[in-house]
Amino acid sequence: MQFDFKYKETWLHKLNPSFKLMTMVVLFLSVLFIHNINFMLNYTIVTLLLFLIFSGHPFKRVLLILLPFLFIFISSATSMIFFGKGDTTWFKWGLIHITEESFFRGIHLGLRALTFAGLGITFALTTRPVYLFYSLMQQMKLPPRYAYSFMAGLRLIPIMFEEFQTIRYAMKVRGVQHKRGVKGFYEKLRVYSIPMLSQSIRRAHRIAVAMEAKRFSQVKNRTFYYKISFSKFDLLFLLYFIVMLSAAYFLSKQFPYFPITDVRYE
Amino acid sequence: MSQIASVKNLRLKFAGSSSLLFKDVSSSFYEGEKVLILGPSGCGKSTLLQVLSGLIPNSIEVPIKADHITTPNSWGYVFQDPDTQFCMPFVDEEIAFVLENLQVPRNEMLEEIRKYVDMVRLDLEELHTPVQTLSGGMKQRLAIASVMALQPEVLFLDEPTAMLDPEGTEQIWDTIKSVASDKTVFIVEHKIDHVLDFIERIILFNEQGEIIADGLKDDIMTTYKQQLIDQGIWYPGVWEDYIERENKQKPIEPGYEHKLISVSQFRGFRGKSVKLKIGNVDVFPGEWITIVGENGAGKSTLLHSFMQLIKTTGRYMIEGQSIENINKLTDYMTFVFQNPEFQFVTNSVYEEIAYSLLLDQLDGKIIAEKVRGLLNEFRLQEQKDQHPYQLSMGQKRRLSVAAAIVKEQKIVLLDEPTFGQDAKNTFTILELIEHWRQQGTTVLMVTHSMEVVQYFSTRVWKIEDGALMFDGTPEQFFQKPSKKLLFEK
Repeated sequence: MQFDFKYKETWLHKLNPSFKLMTMVVLFLSVLFIHNINFMLNYTIVTLLLFLIFSGHPFKRVLLILLPFLFIFISSATSMIFFGKGDTTWFKWGLIHITEESFFRGIHLGLRALTFAGLGITFALTTRPVYLFYSLMQQMKLPPRYAYSFMAGLRLIPIMFEEFQTIRYAMKVRGVQHKRGVKGFYEKLRVYSIPMLSQSIRRAHRIAVAMEAKRFSQVKNRTFYYKISFSKFDLLFLLYFIVMLSAAYFLSKQFPYFPITDVRYE
Repeated sequence: MSQIASVKNLRLKFAGSSSLLFKDVSSSFYEGEKVLILGPSGCGKSTLLQVLSGLIPNSIEVPIKADHITTPNSWGYVFQDPDTQFCMPFVDEEIAFVLENLQVPRNEMLEEIRKYVDMVRLDLEELHTPVQTLSGGMKQRLAIASVMALQPEVLFLDEPTAMLDPEGTEQIWDTIKSVASDKTVFIVEHKIDHVLDFIERIILFNEQGEIIADGLKDDIMTTYKQQLIDQGIWYPGVWEDYIERENKQKPIEPGYEHKLISVSQFRGFRGKSVKLKIGNVDVFPGEWITIVGENGAGKSTLLHSFMQLIKTTGRYMIEGQSIENINKLTDYMTFVFQNPEFQFVTNSVYEEIAYSLLLDQLDGKIIAEKVRGLLNEFRLQEQKDQHPYQLSMGQKRRLSVAAAIVKEQKIVLLDEPTFGQDAKNTFTILELIEHWRQQGTTVLMVTHSMEVVQYFSTRVWKIEDGALMFDGTPEQFFQKPSKKLLFEK
């Protein structure tokens, strides 16, 4: 099984991965301090635009990936809408109590979740892990032993999928029928996890020995096959967020969608 | 000649084992020597290579004691498993990993990578090729390339071809012969056909981890032949010796009266693409059909289609019933996988064999009797309470076959059951299968071994690009390999 999705390289792929990561972290954190739903809505649009237009993946795939995140949006929004506190009642039925305040807070929370998701998948879809770790070693001084361990670990994932498939066939051939319920689930977990874990542990050990046999651990200074540096695209990336978010903030002040400036319940 | 590696009075013990693996083992090796180390499974051959390279105790912590150990300054190590020697996802990155460790300047790397890839004749136009898309033989050549990048004086080869088919094996030894002629080489290997003309010296171990012989290859090969047979070494002529010793007759062809399996316009799908196309073919009771073909030709797909593990279309009848009307295919047919570990579902050898019978809710007494019979037949009596994972390679293989055939299905499908096995285990498995065949079981077996085709099968299928390109007797197969023959009765 191969996970080699075809995609087009965009300028997002050419960013310095460490820089991209740090920018994303700052954006993640900043979202937590936004309480104005008008700004939050614009913020979400800014991140989703970046994702929808510049990920370089076919539009169909992009939408498909977005599907589970819409589910997260709905689930995190509805729980706040249905059960959150508020004074102006819109609808009440048993435990469910929808108020104006809880409704907007719910939407606000949902947008937050969507923004996190948008930023996260943009990063994941436009960053090759190998470049990320090379960049972390070169710009963030990550010790090579961690970087190469992660890269070696990534190689094992497709192998494990193949193994999973083989075990599934084998179970079918042996006529294994799992019982329903907790006990059945436990049985299934045991039947799959023991062979897969034992193979993975053995593999990991062998790879570690093979890496040392190639003089990995004896090296203090190393050269790098990929030199990861900065480019004008990093500046573009930074400017995109500065300009777009400033505009988003300005528009939310001048042309608010809703007459609410703070969704928190006092 | 100067000494390049040596051990004196080496003692070594693995955690959890009750006895020493080595007790006072001593040997010395000289520059330029090509040494083959032979011995039964578990005698410590690979461990000795690891001690001589310094991997033990530097990378693998095992308590050892020795009066004296010399290890070479620069060495490279090629391991058995093609999937577990790489840490990077692409060919160029993997070799670059070694160059980085050696602090080769970045601007020289591409040229060096190209040099080593060409050296092992890995015909790649694009160096940035995913390692995963390479065949086993190509992966092992990549492993040799990355080891050559270390510019070693000494090469340690730890069964580099154990997981390869005959073609891959030959390519690997051709590569090694061309790159390592001026180096000191230590080889541990069971399949020694292609190794013998490369080496000079053989060290022979016994089960107890003692050196029983150390000398020139010709002397060892003639004086210790019986040991080689007992240890299951694939020495040249091992098949001929076996056939003569056992007085093995050609299998008697079964009668071709009623069809057991009959397919027409049969297609097998992986995802949405057609991977198997078969026009008309019938299988008769008591046949032993070997399925041959290159890697990726669709041999496993054929078995998976018969076993209905993948989607199929077309007519597929078993004993005159259409496959759609068969409720439980596992009552008619069973499957033995290439890696036995994946098909174990219980915690002991006994339960493993009893599993299918327990599922069918047979009477306890009958189950006990059947399992006891199979434990004896497959020589697993003493291991019956052990966990399947604790068994040796050969025992695991026997258990997987025993567990698969316990319901005495009429058809057994086997996917390279002798893969990675030594000669002794291979003969045992083949004899067990032949025994079942004589009782009326029909065998369909994927194999790369032409000897199995020649001495054991009654019929050969050759698969190319998902199509059945040859169907006939082994005699016809070997007489006119180029001409396509269709099975006629």
